[in-house]
Amino acid sequence: MSDRNRLFLTGLWLIVTLELRQRVRGVSWYVLLGVFMLLVGIVTFLLWLATSAWLSGGGGVFSTIIFFVLLLATLVSPALSGNAINGDRDIGTLATTQVTLISTGQLVLGKFLAAWITALFFLAAALPFLIFAVVLGDVSLGTISVSMLVLAAELGVIAAAGVGLSGILNRPLFSIVLTYLLVAALSLGTLIAFALLGTATQQEATSVNYQVVQSIYDEQTGKQSDIVCSTAQTSTYTVPRFDYFWWILAANPYVVVADASPGSFDAGGRPTDLFGQIAVGVRSAQAAPELYTEYNGCDEAANGYADQQSGIGPTPQETYDGAVPSWFIGLFIHVLLGAGALAWAWRRTRTPATHLAAGSRIA
Amino acid sequence: MPSGIAVTGVSRSFGSVPALLDATLTVPAGSVTALIGPNGSGKTTLLLMLATLLTPDTGSIRINGHDPVTEPERVRALMGWMPDTLGSWPSLSARAALQTTGRMYRMSGEQAAVRADALIALTDLGDFADRPSRVLSRGQKQRLSLARALVHSPGVLLLDEPASGLDPAARASLRQLLRRLAGEGAAILVSSHVLAELDEMADAAVYLADGRTASPEQVAAAGASARAWRIRSLDESALERALATPGVVGALVQVLGVDQLGTLVQVENEASAAALLHNLVLSGVPVCDFGPAVGNLEHTFLDLTRDRPARHSSVVVNPEVTP
Repeated sequence: MSDRNRLFLTGLWLIVTLELRQRVRGVSWYVLLGVFMLLVGIVTFLLWLATSAWLSGGGGVFSTIIFFVLLLATLVSPALSGNAINGDRDIGTLATTQVTLISTGQLVLGKFLAAWITALFFLAAALPFLIFAVVLGDVSLGTISVSMLVLAAELGVIAAAGVGLSGILNRPLFSIVLTYLLVAALSLGTLIAFALLGTATQQEATSVNYQVVQSIYDEQTGKQSDIVCSTAQTSTYTVPRFDYFWWILAANPYVVVADASPGSFDAGGRPTDLFGQIAVGVRSAQAAPELYTEYNGCDEAANGYADQQSGIGPTPQETYDGAVPSWFIGLFIHVLLGAGALAWAWRRTRTPATHLAAGSRIA
Repeated sequence: MPSGIAVTGVSRSFGSVPALLDATLTVPAGSVTALIGPNGSGKTTLLLMLATLLTPDTGSIRINGHDPVTEPERVRALMGWMPDTLGSWPSLSARAALQTTGRMYRMSGEQAAVRADALIALTDLGDFADRPSRVLSRGQKQRLSLARALVHSPGVLLLDEPASGLDPAARASLRQLLRRLAGEGAAILVSSHVLAELDEMADAAVYLADGRTASPEQVAAAGASARAWRIRSLDESALERALATPGVVGALVQVLGVDQLGTLVQVENEASAAALLHNLVLSGVPVCDFGPAVGNLEHTFLDLTRDRPARHSSVVVNPEVTP
């Protein structure tokens, strides 16, 4: 490693440890982690009861704990990272750091890493329960590693967004609120947008029916003859076009985590964990609805009810396998968002400052 | 290589609000220069530019020959800045804060620890060094802030209101410390409102008003203008009689009034002050105190700011920028 890189990393790590000492020290932090562990413990116990995990395996428990960590980290992380830079400016420690040999890059990156590490503490605190779920059985190594890695990446994105916004905006309260709004937009906003846009985009579908009006049934052969068929009975109705908008869900962090995990299905093709259920739901939205269906009862009557499977659609596993995975697009967008926020914060925090926005200050 | 601070024709505005119009000054190595000006005159803006935090719109700045805009890292390595905001990491002790700052200047852990101990002794923070800095008083924070500016033994020191919040003993030791650092070759620029104090430690003064530094001619003229002198006598009635006698008081002297500290007289220049003292003593007045009522810096400052035309039409206050 070159001298320059070593100096950069030493300074970077100094900022990370300084941030952690500033934010993550003291009794209140441990109380928070303790409450978190208690909550996860209760959730684990209830899930264990609810899913009969001693019979069906730990997949459901494991996936729900991962989501619970994501939920709580998104609730806590903005408050811890959303004032990293402008909060320092307010207490007068930003400028005194910037006149030292610490570069703006080290400062912004160090604060981001510290915020990320803070969020990862929540994942670490949930580890005992995740291990319990794995011990219950039927959780594949692929599910364990992929879901935890993608969860860690999503926590990093939230940390980057918080630190980035704290460098872009001047008022700590405002940047914290905006970080919460961003998290809410991704977690809930995508669901709302998907549901509203899908149902607002109704399209007319037609179904045509031919029915047997009269026939002679031969009891010995079990066949019908002299069938009198009805004329075509056309009915129209509207269907929502969710298939136009399924990609919106790709930006949802919960969907990213769920869709990334390798699907785990039972013998009947049903998903065995929450990841699978969500992934199947999202991927089934990719299929366009049938806009024209025809049912000819007369043909069936004449040729026998051979196609016994016609009423039953594909199994969840078939839907899952037949559709496009979207998690990497979502994750890519999130990483781009986080990196962009950090880069913008770096530009705004760089000194000597040439341009200062109205109402901003340096020291 | 030229040492010290050299500022030529520097200006800076924030949006349409000018903060600094034309600042020119030099601070040679081994000297203390006072930066004096009313609130909003651009002192802090100027110091922020010297401290590599803000770029000037026009003009040039050199810190020991380096440009803070193009070589900020070189300037930072040799410049210490004490801001007027008392910022410190709330949960860190003074000792830990100084060690951390040392590490930010790329010292090793041991070097930083040794340096922190030395600075704690130097700024007399020993009793509070291990308490979290959020419990420190204003004066203690001020001393911590000074110690932090000195961590890397900078050759150029920029101090923004270093004496505010300090008790008299701490002020005296600050004065001695700055004189000693200047004696060791540092170039020191101090801004302060406590002008009497700057009088005692500054070798030179730069006056900043409405974003412009006063020229040497203006300063010389202001310093030489008529000023008030205070006279105290053991026998106040004898003094009163003598001052009423035409032969004692020359044409250039005018009695302003009497307060509890003595009699104030307006004296045109130092020569007529000497003549007045001479005459008073000859008339048998027991004079025990005779001197300018205000210090040199304050007199010049007041004189320079008094005659500024249209002060309010060109208000240069920029509170958003002043930390």
